[in-house]
Amino acid sequence: MADYDFDAIVIGSGISGGWAAKELCEKGMKVLMLDRGRMVEHRKDYITEGKGPWQLAYRGNLPPAEADRDYIMAKWGGANLTAQTHFYNNDRLNPIDFENSKPFRWVRPNQVGGKSLIWGRVALRWSHIDFEANKRDGHGSPWPIDYDEIAPWYSYVESFAGIAGSKEGLPQLPDGEFQPPHPMNVAELWVKERLEKAIPGRKLISCRTANMTEDKPEQGRTRCQERNMCARGCSFGAYFSTQAVTLPAARKTGNLTLLSDQVVTNLEYDPKTKRVTGVRVVDANTKLAHVHRSRIVFLCASAMASTQILLNSRLPGSERSFADSSGMLGHYIMDHAFRTGFWGTVPDPALEPFITYGRRPNGVYIPRFRNLNGQDADADFVRGYGMQGAAGRGPAGARGFGAAMKEAMRGYGPWTIRFTAFAECLPYKDNTLSLNPKKLDRFGVPLAVFNVSFRDNEMKMMRDAALQGEAMMRAAGLTDVGSSNEEHVPGDAIHEMGGACMGEDPRTSVVNRWSQAHDAANLFVTDGSQMASTACVNPSMTFMALTARAADYAIKQAKAGAT
Amino acid sequence: MTVVDRRGLLAGTAMLLGGEIVAPLSRALAADTVPGFTASQAQFTPDQRALVTAISERIIPATDTPGATAAGVPGFIEMMLADWYAPQDRDDFLNGMGVIDGYSWTQHEKPFAVLTPEQQDAILTQATHFAGDFFNHCRQLTILGYYTSEIGCKQERVYVPVPGHYDGKYPYAQVRRVFSS
Repeated sequence: MADYDFDAIVIGSGISGGWAAKELCEKGMKVLMLDRGRMVEHRKDYITEGKGPWQLAYRGNLPPAEADRDYIMAKWGGANLTAQTHFYNNDRLNPIDFENSKPFRWVRPNQVGGKSLIWGRVALRWSHIDFEANKRDGHGSPWPIDYDEIAPWYSYVESFAGIAGSKEGLPQLPDGEFQPPHPMNVAELWVKERLEKAIPGRKLISCRTANMTEDKPEQGRTRCQERNMCARGCSFGAYFSTQAVTLPAARKTGNLTLLSDQVVTNLEYDPKTKRVTGVRVVDANTKLAHVHRSRIVFLCASAMASTQILLNSRLPGSERSFADSSGMLGHYIMDHAFRTGFWGTVPDPALEPFITYGRRPNGVYIPRFRNLNGQDADADFVRGYGMQGAAGRGPAGARGFGAAMKEAMRGYGPWTIRFTAFAECLPYKDNTLSLNPKKLDRFGVPLAVFNVSFRDNEMKMMRDAALQGEAMMRAAGLTDVGSSNEEHVPGDAIHEMGGACMGEDPRTSVVNRWSQAHDAANLFVTDGSQMASTACVNPSMTFMALTARAADYAIKQAKAGAT
Repeated sequence: MTVVDRRGLLAGTAMLLGGEIVAPLSRALAADTVPGFTASQAQFTPDQRALVTAISERIIPATDTPGATAAGVPGFIEMMLADWYAPQDRDDFLNGMGVIDGYSWTQHEKPFAVLTPEQQDAILTQATHFAGDFFNHCRQLTILGYYTSEIGCKQERVYVPVPGHYDGKYPYAQVRRVFSS
């Protein structure tokens, strides 16, 4: 131990890194957590929180010229909004190899807390169906773990994070440890009642979300105040973020050292002992390099960044990463396809007297209903999709001008409901992230090259989602039903996964069932890069559960002297 | 933010600004101003400023709540033209202003800004035919500026910064206004 600066180094401080730091610190390890971005302290650094539109630059919308220049990818994920631009990567200063990449939107944060500050907070479990999918239809490498193995860890992270949702008893969307759900509004309930009657088995539920509906005084957190400005940071600590939840817990132990502005370039490795021996960083401000040493390393830099760091971790004289004995590192890059929407109008005059008070942070959800029990006879694709949406009423549209227009705009338009489908993306070995050794970023790291595309199965699913969506809207009795299919660009859903996939066989996967690198027993890769498939549900709760589980395993192994 | 938010905001902006989000314009920022609140450099002549003030005030006049002028809409429009818009869109807007003023001179031998409100309203009604694109553009920019202003959010609409709870069946009759967000 004397050779080490820390018991553990956690690379990245987002959803996965925060959990790793908390778990390792609470079990007594001295932990160094590194983030490449700047420091953001809870409350103090939420500089746009609570501001009205008139207090935001450009009333909230970044000039297109600036978005196109500095946030060419991030603008698709919210950097175009001046209330939160400061939480996103500058894609001009920290680019990918745009020239040699297929279209890809890598929406990156650039601060301590990572995407946990700006995530969509949809908090869903994967199911048996999801973990078995690769094995069943032969795409990608089979998951070595099953839902039952992960279920207790879902419960563990849900209880601490604070998840609001309803128990539904659905096999494809397992229930968890929930606080009461956020209420559905009168139009959503109207649609739910008619849809579930018209199509038996179909469900429309309050979307499970990491915005609390009950206080957690022991964590200094207050339930959601229904402002819906989460992505600016929340001083109530109402939603799960590193700053509000895992960082305070890790700090409380006295075991955490947190360094911001530390860009991890690569891991150092000893091929004789097959261990990671150091984490090399470049200080983002001084550009000085330093190597930190620890007994174990948790790589939680985000799916794409962790893959990039691993790819750049090569032995002298070798072009191949030490973690790539399988040849699978950088392969199977995935994201959800989601630019398909559908909508309808509630025609019932009985709803006309009502509007909504408060700005709810979540919406409603239609769980997957395709290919649940084997292959649907009328489906020309495998796997499925879920649908996120919400009903609401906007202000009445402007007609004419003057006092009459102003008066009319004090009223509301009709109740409409809109959904977006999220489709599972199959794992394709030739959807890759690689490095271009001829182009280095300002920290000396080769630029990432993305060669990722959606294929036939994803496109068929999206077409089906639009058809099914319109059919559901009509079955529920909605009018003015429509749908749209926009261009699906990988990365756009900000659910990027894969690159260091989990599997039993070291010849076909990068990490084992404990998120532990096959090639280095003291390296754990616990973020989205380990995912061997995407399911159709949002992945963050699974990252949390797998990270907490891996930390538990790592500590037990360390105590047994095995790492 | 949820996907619905992301999509809604983009769509909402596109709708407000006339169907599509305009191409970029690089800002020339004064070093000592915080960008995005006032124009980094004067965009209008005094006559143009008076014209935009008059048009926006007729689009959203003072009634039982303040109108566009009091809400700072003319300054907002000037800022957007100077710092947000692409050059072509800015020029289209300036040209449209000239058409309105030219029409006023041909009809009344006076600039639009000094006409009576009735005369101004008559020209704006005509403008929906002879300068429809500009009229829609100007109306959208006025609406965006007004309803994102402090007056628009707090006096014309009802501003609840911390709602505390959500009510999905709230009677409109209790407020008879739009909640600003």
